[in-house]
Amino acid sequence: MNWFDKLLDWFSGFTDQWEKHGVKFTLYTTIAILIGGLFELVPPFFLTKTAEPIQNVKPYNALELAGRDVYQKEGCNNCHTQMIRPFKWEVDRFDPQHSYGKDGYSKAGEYVYDHPFLWGSKRTGPDLAHESQIQSSAEWHKTHLINPRDTAKGSIMPAYPWLFEESSIIDASKIADHMRGLQKIGVPYTEEDISSAPTLLAGKTAGDALIAYLLKLGRDTAELSKSLQ
Amino acid sequence: MSSSEQKYNDTIVKGFLISGLVWGLASMLVGVWIAFQMVYPELNFGPYFTFGRLRPLHTNAAIFGFALSIVFATGYHTVQRLCRVRIWSDKLSNLHLFLYNLSIVAAAITLPLGLNQSKEYAELEWPLDLLIVVWFVVFLINYFGTIFTRQEKQLYAAIWFYIASWVTIPILFIVNNLSIPVSWIKSYSVYSGVYDANIQWWYGHNAVAFVLTTPFLGMMYYYLPKHIKQPIYSHRLSIIHFWSLIFLYIWAGPHHLLYSPLPDWLQTTGMVFSIMLWMPSWGGMLNGFLTLTQAKEKIKTDATLKMLLVGLTFYGMSTFEGPLLSIRAVSGLGHNTDWIIGHVHGGTLGWVGMMSFAAIYYLVPRLWDTNLFSERLANVHFWIATLGILLYIVSMWVSGISEGSMWRAVDETGSLKFPNWVQITETLKPYRLFRGIGGGLYLSGVVLMIYNVVRTIINSGSGYKEIDPRIGLKEGKTA
Repeated sequence: MNWFDKLLDWFSGFTDQWEKHGVKFTLYTTIAILIGGLFELVPPFFLTKTAEPIQNVKPYNALELAGRDVYQKEGCNNCHTQMIRPFKWEVDRFDPQHSYGKDGYSKAGEYVYDHPFLWGSKRTGPDLAHESQIQSSAEWHKTHLINPRDTAKGSIMPAYPWLFEESSIIDASKIADHMRGLQKIGVPYTEEDISSAPTLLAGKTAGDALIAYLLKLGRDTAELSKSLQ
Repeated sequence: MSSSEQKYNDTIVKGFLISGLVWGLASMLVGVWIAFQMVYPELNFGPYFTFGRLRPLHTNAAIFGFALSIVFATGYHTVQRLCRVRIWSDKLSNLHLFLYNLSIVAAAITLPLGLNQSKEYAELEWPLDLLIVVWFVVFLINYFGTIFTRQEKQLYAAIWFYIASWVTIPILFIVNNLSIPVSWIKSYSVYSGVYDANIQWWYGHNAVAFVLTTPFLGMMYYYLPKHIKQPIYSHRLSIIHFWSLIFLYIWAGPHHLLYSPLPDWLQTTGMVFSIMLWMPSWGGMLNGFLTLTQAKEKIKTDATLKMLLVGLTFYGMSTFEGPLLSIRAVSGLGHNTDWIIGHVHGGTLGWVGMMSFAAIYYLVPRLWDTNLFSERLANVHFWIATLGILLYIVSMWVSGISEGSMWRAVDETGSLKFPNWVQITETLKPYRLFRGIGGGLYLSGVVLMIYNVVRTIINSGSGYKEIDPRIGLKEGKTA
């Protein structure tokens, strides 16, 4: 290990000096942590292949966006993932109708309008990335959200009855503001998309919006894939 | 003692220690509660106390309430001693303590209300993020002010680890939290989809690195040698493991995103650097262990030393398990399962928790100038905490590996063996119940500690006397 000792001598020759200078030490520490960070965070933005847009994927309409807000508010992402890995067993489970041809797993292009991403890190309940193709009945979702045990005996999901109460009716003007915010960071909403918010949201509860969001998940890519087949 | 009180500001250390005890108790209570929610869904009380809203409360209170309080307490304590000067500004210290606790209280209110950004460990909405930036800047000015006015030329190893944490945390926090506010209570991340995922896990993994690892290594480098009155085993090992640890850690984030649509080169980089991290991590662990061997005959009787030993053991174990899980094939089985929850809690309950308890038991008698109320109670705390951790992680290992195996199990025809999700959930229930019980044991240890600390503080001022429990005395009490 002679060479290793020499390498260490050489290195500690510098560090011994830095340890006596607070500014130098802090500066070199900052450089050490920045190198990896910059290498990983910057290039993806300039590589066009990082997120190839998928032709058919459209931004969430006012009702679906309101539903996404509800999904975030309730922290659904703490138990449900939205990212299907390229394993046969995962594709079989989360694309039972084979709506996506051979490729039932998640692609970067599906998430281009997701601010923030909601892939989650724990799959306590099933994955929802392609939920529209797994359970397309709005009525089923309503029953499930009001009491999960009614549709799946033994489920440990919390019940969300208040989402459908009168007090949960959504304020359309707020959603229009949310759309304007998203427009500023690159979601291509048209003025028409925003002005149609009040009609889309009229009398809708948080629960209705959440269901609309769930039925949007995976729909655009499934339609594209079906039209190609 | 009184001369040291004039020389150093210990009030701020006491303040952060007490915040640590309060937020530790709160976070672990919520943790046990949500553990049982995973078995008994009736424990979800809507709309404010459902799992989805309480889980971020648990993680935020544990990481930023409990762990960070202990980090600041020990940071203020060590920097004054290692620089041989009083903290630069008492006023800024108090402002830091006040604004910090204000932000945690606000977190504890807003998270159950469902106000969150949905980014793991970065859930707080933008006005709170700004408040955090303000008190962090206040703290940075004060800390570096102390370093620049120091009386001791050489910066000792413990301080390196604290400095690395202070410079990295704000960079991570600000970059990941950039968002567009759409109202006072709602914002959207400026990044989208796959970019957002990449930045989130660069942040998420390095929160583990620079909030839950480096400051605690700093604690180890100061309190372990101080407690056993022996120098650290190897200064050279400190140098090499410090620089390689902070350089390598920052690259490891993408191992959270294996098999995702993140570019392959980035996933592989994350995986390779995670495996390389095993070396500096174990370098730190070995330096601790080899230092400990210099006082091995004390371990039998000394609760603080036992906690340091078990803390280091769990550090070694989690930093072995981490690189293992970041190998693609292992991630294929473990990702998204209870195994990860077990892995994280091996690190947090074992390493962060035990090191924090050791620091608390070291500091409280000295700060309040009296002896610990009961050394025996501290030992009981140690044993039930250790038992609790083991019950927790073993049940999560079994649960996680069962979960991953059941997801992928196929019959002879190649179709899924367990297509019904609830069937898997039912299988995992007993393990999840044991997890809750393990967490409950750990929590009861914390309650004992708080009782012990409160009784110690009541005795304050009676004079701290160092006692070697090996010679005759049954308990470390003074007459």
